[in-house]
Amino acid sequence: MKKASHPLIQLIIKPALMGLLVAATVIGVLPFVSSLGPQPHVADPQPASYAQAVNRASPAVVNIYTESIRQGPFDPRPRSSLRLGSGVIMDSRGFILTADHVVSGVDEIRVALQDGRLMGAQLVGSDRLTDLAVLRIDADNLPVIPQNNDIQTRVGDVVLAIGNPYNLGQTVTQGIISATGRAGLAERTGGLSSGYSDFLQMDAAINEGNSGGALVNSRGELVGINNVSFQSQIANRATTGIYFAVPYRLARRIMQQIISDGVVVRGYIGITAEQHYNTNQDIRGLLISAVDPQGPAANAGIQVGDFIYEIGGEPIQSVNQGLDIVAETRPGEVLDVLFYRDVRPMQARVRISRLGDNQ
Amino acid sequence: MSKLKSLFLIPCFILLSSVSVAQAQIPLATNSDGVPTLAPMLEEVTPAVVNISVEGKRVTRQRMPEAFRFFFGPNAPQEETREQPFRGLGSGVIIDAEAGYVVTNNHVIDDATDITVTLKDGRQFSARVLGRDEQTDVALLKIDNPRDLTAIQIGNSDAMRVGDFVVAIGNPFGLGQTVTSGIVSALGRGGFGPERLENFIQTDAAINSGNSGGALVDLRGNLIGINTAILGRGGNIGIGFAIPANMMKNLVDQILEFGEVRRGVLGVRGGNLTQELADALDISRTRGAWVSEVLADGAAERAGIQAGDVIVSVDGNDIQSFTELAATVGTMGAGRKVTLGVIRDGEAMNIDVELLEREAEAAAATMHAALQGAQLSAEGNNQGVRITSVDEGSPAHRLGLRADDIIIGVNRQRVSSVSELRRLLDNTQGVVAMHVRRGQSTLYLVLPN
Repeated sequence: MKKASHPLIQLIIKPALMGLLVAATVIGVLPFVSSLGPQPHVADPQPASYAQAVNRASPAVVNIYTESIRQGPFDPRPRSSLRLGSGVIMDSRGFILTADHVVSGVDEIRVALQDGRLMGAQLVGSDRLTDLAVLRIDADNLPVIPQNNDIQTRVGDVVLAIGNPYNLGQTVTQGIISATGRAGLAERTGGLSSGYSDFLQMDAAINEGNSGGALVNSRGELVGINNVSFQSQIANRATTGIYFAVPYRLARRIMQQIISDGVVVRGYIGITAEQHYNTNQDIRGLLISAVDPQGPAANAGIQVGDFIYEIGGEPIQSVNQGLDIVAETRPGEVLDVLFYRDVRPMQARVRISRLGDNQ
Repeated sequence: MSKLKSLFLIPCFILLSSVSVAQAQIPLATNSDGVPTLAPMLEEVTPAVVNISVEGKRVTRQRMPEAFRFFFGPNAPQEETREQPFRGLGSGVIIDAEAGYVVTNNHVIDDATDITVTLKDGRQFSARVLGRDEQTDVALLKIDNPRDLTAIQIGNSDAMRVGDFVVAIGNPFGLGQTVTSGIVSALGRGGFGPERLENFIQTDAAINSGNSGGALVDLRGNLIGINTAILGRGGNIGIGFAIPANMMKNLVDQILEFGEVRRGVLGVRGGNLTQELADALDISRTRGAWVSEVLADGAAERAGIQAGDVIVSVDGNDIQSFTELAATVGTMGAGRKVTLGVIRDGEAMNIDVELLEREAEAAAATMHAALQGAQLSAEGNNQGVRITSVDEGSPAHRLGLRADDIIIGVNRQRVSSVSELRRLLDNTQGVVAMHVRRGQSTLYLVLPN
């Protein structure tokens, strides 16, 4: 009996020990495993917080104070008016992105860093159509906003708006991206029918003083440049839950142009068009509703009622896309435009002119 | 064999599940689909947040038009006072279920004669004010005959960081209990009212009229603030303010101990440390409270704090501005010992300070009923307590106290400060003989029992 029980006990003990060993290993390793990657099903022992993202991004967001001195013909003495905004330090050379309406037409610009430094800033250049401006400050050890050139912004992404509303001091608000590609908010000018930038719409609250500040994602990477002035264009009274920002990639392109050329030069084609689906040809494109009689398109023979489906070798899906291709073409260059007049396929060589020259 | 194997998997399983149970206690839970939800945490917390409705009368004063005097002569009243009934709504937080203590804002219960607390489950209780403080906007209520209440867990508001999730619970516009979420937008906000002590947590969680006095909780459901104010006239614009739970707790402790808030006073004047000031003082940091003047015989002077010092922390917590220092110290309570982090001549040091009572504010009535109508302040060099004023016909006046009298003793014990006088009066049973110096002579006044 004794001998018979032995192998049985052995049989039981061996896997039991193995099992306990496995259990111990799993328990020991599990916390590390869960901290290695995102595990939505297991709650993190530390409650979720954006403090890390705020720590990475917020030092690079500055307060901007501007002063303009005005003296009318009947004013006994000059009056000074102060304006408030925010800005984002984009690189260690001291280039700062902000909103054009914060700094346009002012006599003095001062920048306050979050470490307490206060200094004068120079206006490098600005772009009215996207309401962006580039400043430069001369300082060492500047905190730079984290940037990701491949950033993809999707509806539903969590965003944090960082700025200085009402000069309360730096403030972080949270929301999500409500929509992307919101066009037509900037001033409508010439060219194709819509505006010149595709804005981000979000529900993170921004207020006066937030303009020019940073919109970052949950990793602290720059997603856009906040702008309060567009909000007032969609509603007269204070709206809540609908705010806008210029997307990062557009803002960076504009900034690079301003830094290299001092201005943003856009191509002009001189047509007004709307998105259209051509059932005869079974393709998408733009239907011309008006042409500028002195514009490049008219000179190349394009008429009202023509259906454009390709510009510069790219199939055209939307008005914004066509607008971008034209706007980014250097004035003087030629774009091949393919279109149908009724059912006849046609081609025109359009010499792009400079936006702002012919209106 | 396979049966045995499956058996041995069980201890493995049990141990594993005990791990996940431990983690499931973290309140940021996910629902069955793995989507994050606040619902389990809120189910625990929301019963501790109550609606408060008040009724009362507010006295409005109106200057009489000149024409009245023309008709009724020079003896016509100059002012017309009118009592107007009002009703108000707000929120509150149960912090002690057994005793029925509810915290709310002072402005919610100001001038109220009737206070009704409505729980989430619909039960209604009447409540009375135990103590309130205008400068911080905190009030403590007690529910009459409390039973089966749920109290909130009070968290450590000093541990909150900008970017942390928060949830506001309250009764906006009297709609009924409402939960809104957001993050901590900023810390240490203040300076809105010059008379106030403010050290707000700023949040973008939507707070509206009626949310006042309600709870701001973290993701664990711990109370970290009392929602108090918003910026913006019409309603929420994403900028709301909450009194930190630690500050609230200090005030509640004082109210429970003394029946009133006994503010601690450091006895310094100063301002915020600015870049220019930091450059001039050769300090590398630009955040802190700069001391420009140390008041004679104050707590700071006794502890050795000097003009030109920069105070950068209180009990190890960073101080960003003079406003924050004033709010922190001003809510800690007289007699409290604190350790201040100080930078002097570029050198960091710690200085222990015992906070004193705000002497100028001491109304004698809070010490002894027979002293009602007298105002007290400290006499210099710990020489006693000076009577700064006595209302004509008040109990203190009938007792024989006059302005500029100096109380130097109680029942043969020397009195050097207001807080000492208070302590002696509190601890003395029966008749009190007060030793008073008037000019060159001294006299005894006997306070009735």
